[in-house]
Amino acid sequence: MTQVISTRELPELLQWPAEGIARVPMHVFTDPEIYAWEQDLIFRGPTWSFLCLDVEIPTAGDYITTRIGDSPIIAVRRPDGGINALVNRCVHKGSIICHQPKGQRTRVHNFVCPYHNWIYDFDGNLTSIAFEKGIQQKGGMPADFDKTQHKLTRLHVETINGLVFATFSDETPPLRDYLGPVMVEHIERTLHGKVKILGRYSQFMHNNWKLYVENSRDNYHPSLLHAFFSTFKLNRLSAEGGTRQDDKSWHHITFTKRYTDKGDAAYDSGMLRAQKTDYGLKDPSLIDQWMEFPDQITNSIQSIFPGFVLQQVLNSLGTRQVITHGVDKCELVWTMVGLEDDTEEQTQVRVKQSNLVGPAGYVSMEDGAIGGFVQKGIAGDLDKHAILEMGGIGVGGMPTRATETSVRGFWKVYRELMDV
Amino acid sequence: MSDAASAATPPTVPAAVSAAIARLMMQYVHAIDNDELERWPPCFTEKCVYQILPRPAFEQGHRVGVWYCDNRDMLEDRVRSLREINVYEPHVYRHVIGPTEILEFSGGVYRAQTSYIVVRTMHDGEMTVFSAGRYVDEIVVEKDAALLRKRIVVTDSARFDTLVVIPI
Repeated sequence: MTQVISTRELPELLQWPAEGIARVPMHVFTDPEIYAWEQDLIFRGPTWSFLCLDVEIPTAGDYITTRIGDSPIIAVRRPDGGINALVNRCVHKGSIICHQPKGQRTRVHNFVCPYHNWIYDFDGNLTSIAFEKGIQQKGGMPADFDKTQHKLTRLHVETINGLVFATFSDETPPLRDYLGPVMVEHIERTLHGKVKILGRYSQFMHNNWKLYVENSRDNYHPSLLHAFFSTFKLNRLSAEGGTRQDDKSWHHITFTKRYTDKGDAAYDSGMLRAQKTDYGLKDPSLIDQWMEFPDQITNSIQSIFPGFVLQQVLNSLGTRQVITHGVDKCELVWTMVGLEDDTEEQTQVRVKQSNLVGPAGYVSMEDGAIGGFVQKGIAGDLDKHAILEMGGIGVGGMPTRATETSVRGFWKVYRELMDV
Repeated sequence: MSDAASAATPPTVPAAVSAAIARLMMQYVHAIDNDELERWPPCFTEKCVYQILPRPAFEQGHRVGVWYCDNRDMLEDRVRSLREINVYEPHVYRHVIGPTEILEFSGGVYRAQTSYIVVRTMHDGEMTVFSAGRYVDEIVVEKDAALLRKRIVVTDSARFDTLVVIPI
């Protein structure tokens, strides 16, 4: 599969500045030819992309449709309990086969293209062609047409704690190796029970997909751009925080601990009730929380290359999936989750804290706009470079949030995969 | 499907109540559209629910949408935040609402639904249809004034452009 039919070779399109990952050439956010290469080398390259949650397709024949980059994908539950991921493109004319966001093929385990009724099994094999033998000995496919030579592209699939990932490439390491132990441990920690879906929506952004991914890995901006934190004193100066990465700096976690005094009585009291006197909110119940995690981390944003984010904002847990929409637009699909053994009171806390995140989130709405600000700002200066020197010019975890180490980590892997 | 769809015979509504509900609907959208957002929380009872929930979530019974307040203080916090704290390009809404269908009256509460469409105009003049959907409401009438006890804004689309800082 390729999307680089009528583009020039990458070395012609993109020469990285001599300063390395401390600089980013602005035209990587605007050039449609570079975008086409990214589809091939990143989204269909040796990377794992998030598809859905395991619980969305519980029964054999349940499927959802999604995308990896620009490629339409079907994720379907097999009769043996496994999950297959197929490119949602009929080999005949190229129509999408499943045109519903989700559905069930539970009675008959196959997919039928609506255009000319070509039929595929869940492994992607072409099993039937309408009028293959013609009608009354007239027409039909040639006798030597071999259906076994035409299959839906099938991806590799792996899951971790209810998150379903897929990859196009045979070269991609197994999912847990790709993530590395630091990332695996944090996923297992955040999704510490059986997940249930509380809601889903998406945010459409007027910027290149990489500007959002950079933003998700940028722990320098939150206390500056998202003034809600500081205005309502949600960021104590004493709060401990930092950045963790895997060994190769492909992935990232930024975290804060709200209370760092080990002896704080609040730890032991179950629900932490926010006091009106402590914050400027008329109704501080918005930030009532319980200490869900023994590590006392209250906020963590985990960004998995290329386009997946696992979030914990107080007790608000969710996944974010970046979908590309051309060179200057992208979409962020949010799935908000709870755990099966949550009490009703805990679910109510998660529901209330949904105000903090998403397109209307007190501490996240600006992220939907800021990429667009950059996209507008750079329009006339594509020869310029972004400067990424906060916290040095290297990569690796740091015990601070005043750093762009993980943004540089993104460009490190980007350059490796694009070979630029 | 929705509760609203399964409603029985519509109730007979006194003219004064109809007028009060119609006035509430107008005041609600004018408070938002004319940048008088401080007049928006008073459209609700003190204990209330205001939620923006995409239609697929509403139909599947999901509880989390993009906005959830369960009392008037939370609504006022939202107004203060958009006035003083959040960062976004200036824009205004224009709501157009359809006639309100009153579905049921029981326990002193009117259940009603009203279609809406919101056009968003950015500071540079760009106009888009920002949201279309329906209000699914529970309304109480006190001393000839109607107030929202519960409003679920059921948005036909689950995709929101850029951000939702102003209420719908």
